[in-house]
Amino acid sequence: MRRLGRRQEMIALSICAGALAVAVALPVAMLAVETSSSDALVAAGSTLARPATWRLLLVSLGLASATTVGALLVGVPLGTLVARTDLRGRHFLLWLHAFPFFVPPYLLALGWFHLLGRASPLGSAASSEALFSAAGVVGVLTLAYAPVVTGLVVMALRGVDPALEEPARAVAPPGRVVLRILLPLSWPAIAWSALIVFAMALSETGVPLFLRVRTYPAAVFSRLGGFDYAPGEAFALALPLVCAALLLLVVERRLIGDRSFASLVGRHVPQRPYALGRWGGPAAIGSWAQVVLALAPIASLVAVASRGTPASTVGWMGMSLATSALVAVVSATGIAALGFVLGHALARRRTGAAALDALAMLAFVLPSAVLGAGIIAAWNRPEARLVYGSVAILVVGLVGRYAIVGARTVAASVSGTSTHIEEAAAVFGASWLRRMLRIVLPTNATGVATAWLLALLFCLRDLDTVILFYPPGREPLPVRIFTLEANGPDAVVAGLAVVQILATAVVLALGLLMVRRSR
Amino acid sequence: MSLRRAAVLAAAVLLVLAVGIALSFRPGDRDVVVVYTSVDQVFSEPVFRTCEAETGLIVRAVFDTEETKSTGVLSRLVAEASAPQADVFWSGDPVRPFVLMGRGLVEPYRSSVAAGIPDAFRATDGTWTGFAARARVLLVNTDRVQAAEMPTSIRDLGAPRWRGQTAIANPVFGTTTMHVAALFAAWGDDEARGFLAALRDNDVRVAASNGEVKRLVASGEVAFGLTDTDDAHEAIRGGAPVTVVYPDPDDLGTLVMPTTVVLVSGGPSPTAGRQLIDCLLGPEVERQMADSAAHMPLRPDVATPPGVRTVSSIRAMQVDYEQVASTMERVQPMLRQWVGM
Repeated sequence: MRRLGRRQEMIALSICAGALAVAVALPVAMLAVETSSSDALVAAGSTLARPATWRLLLVSLGLASATTVGALLVGVPLGTLVARTDLRGRHFLLWLHAFPFFVPPYLLALGWFHLLGRASPLGSAASSEALFSAAGVVGVLTLAYAPVVTGLVVMALRGVDPALEEPARAVAPPGRVVLRILLPLSWPAIAWSALIVFAMALSETGVPLFLRVRTYPAAVFSRLGGFDYAPGEAFALALPLVCAALLLLVVERRLIGDRSFASLVGRHVPQRPYALGRWGGPAAIGSWAQVVLALAPIASLVAVASRGTPASTVGWMGMSLATSALVAVVSATGIAALGFVLGHALARRRTGAAALDALAMLAFVLPSAVLGAGIIAAWNRPEARLVYGSVAILVVGLVGRYAIVGARTVAASVSGTSTHIEEAAAVFGASWLRRMLRIVLPTNATGVATAWLLALLFCLRDLDTVILFYPPGREPLPVRIFTLEANGPDAVVAGLAVVQILATAVVLALGLLMVRRSR
Repeated sequence: MSLRRAAVLAAAVLLVLAVGIALSFRPGDRDVVVVYTSVDQVFSEPVFRTCEAETGLIVRAVFDTEETKSTGVLSRLVAEASAPQADVFWSGDPVRPFVLMGRGLVEPYRSSVAAGIPDAFRATDGTWTGFAARARVLLVNTDRVQAAEMPTSIRDLGAPRWRGQTAIANPVFGTTTMHVAALFAAWGDDEARGFLAALRDNDVRVAASNGEVKRLVASGEVAFGLTDTDDAHEAIRGGAPVTVVYPDPDDLGTLVMPTTVVLVSGGPSPTAGRQLIDCLLGPEVERQMADSAAHMPLRPDVATPPGVRTVSSIRAMQVDYEQVASTMERVQPMLRQWVGM
């Protein structure tokens, strides 16, 4: 029976490997083959030999670093206040603060343009110049990505063992306990969040393009969207970014080391909140001011949209919202299923799981245009028309890109549960499939539901991955907004953006309800 | 969870997957035509609806994003060359089709509907046919520029008087690529390189797109910029304080760019593709493009709406589209270097 269990697990992991192979490894391999052509190598070699190329890479690394520092400066204090103090309305505040993360970042940039552009009521020449600059990119991305830090800090601080903290609380002031005990205990989660923000900021193309700031991923994109389509050269050019991604992976592995994923984010342990006392007022004002700032571009989009008519917005929307919803639901389901198997294997340190995790992480941090070109190279062939000519290709792309979201979320959940019950069931002859369905799934239902919800939100907001290969007449809503943004009436574009934001809000609300019920 | 419930759950997941794929893919749809276009979606989509009503076809389109205008879908056509997904390419300019021709991706089609279009705007071998033209113009913010100092030439973009106050779109993408290539063809490499150097020295703003140039000028972020007539028309229609200058009337002339349509070789539905081309080349579509997007009709029998110049009223730059196409490919690496990509 044990042998049967092992075989079942091997088959399930092989299916995961197959899914990642067709969605990630095959496209990357196809591009690698194109890179090996002499023309691509010569062109890439000439570009990589230019100092300007490396200066551009340094600029991108600088922007990503500044965004990471900004997100940490916002996220760590806010996360601490939300997780461990009696800050008024902290739970509601956390969700409002997190919301912009699930909105496509270029829509936030568009919202900021309507707010700070020279022609806007609040704008001036100075505000416009500040927005259309490297500082503007860092500002927009910081507010968009800070919730990653906040969320992980909250989860880490809520998971700190009270036994490590209570003695200190008896003798030291709260600030000292936070700085000397709580934050040092949470540093793996803080560092992990910093890595995620850094990776996302490094591969971001929409916001820098909109704000006219030159970045390295945009240079890679120009080899794919420019006049001379050169996917091999683009892949060769992306190699420094791939190296940066691999370096991040190594750092992350060192960071996690022998710790389980659960130790990064912990399990919620009820704790007494610190009373802010006279600092309660200023802390509330500061926290809510940050939330207002983060939501300001969304409010400006709503204001611009209100100048149009709902009929016009619906008319221009076409089937894009339905396509978005369908593709996101199917992809998220696939990601959650894949994450359930892979996340469990990762948490239980099964052979091969770490390699699959690394492949999934690579797909997440690789410039999306490169992954997109690889998917065209791998899937555009007559025998694959059923997939490439339909929305199925969107599912392939999204599952490949966001598989890591499902795997890591489930891994964090499974790591927090004891292996004893699974082992006992195995001793009594329960197969792997039976253990997974009867023990692992029920005890990690919240984790799996959270993985599905997160994947759904990532898929709903995605633009960069699918823009290169969406099937004719089947574009998701973010793509439609992006292609209409050029000359579409401002009110219509803003109206569609508001629809996208509302759809995200509805999904988030339903998801929260679902997660709460599953508890 | 019981095994039975798990099986039901798994079956439901598979059902969702199957329904999703089935909804999107209908094999043997003979009346479906796929078109890739770099003409702005806001203008081209209503045209496709017109053609759907006229022909009974279902038109499925892939549109360009403004940032990669004219080259995004072109790149995709090239990338998909081994198994073309598109039947028709409707280009926003007349030179991109030559890239496809050079790669053997165009099937000649002489549409009988094109008879009313002047010979200068269609290929004798039927590889491409032009209609509904745009021009490259200077869009000027009248709040920032007095009548006395109105620019008259594209060289004014590099004039020290306007240092840091002008904009062009990224020349790696869009119609700006064609414009720069046309300058290289007309002036020769040295003079064209000198012009680009002057722009850089003058801190010209490099916008993501022509639409972005329009936005910068309309909002007063810059004094004037180089853009297309349809973008300029949008700014005027939006009530922005702007005016249009057709540059270099006494010198080089203004670059005129008809949109062009080609039949993609090896596309899934060539018959439907020809039907769509016939519809696009009809006078009704040219009229629609003139009314909605200020495109200049090439057919003499289609009226030009108020506010739109006729092609004959402009001193047009003399351009050999094929030569410009080859120049475009040649100057790409230099342009990328110029923008720092």
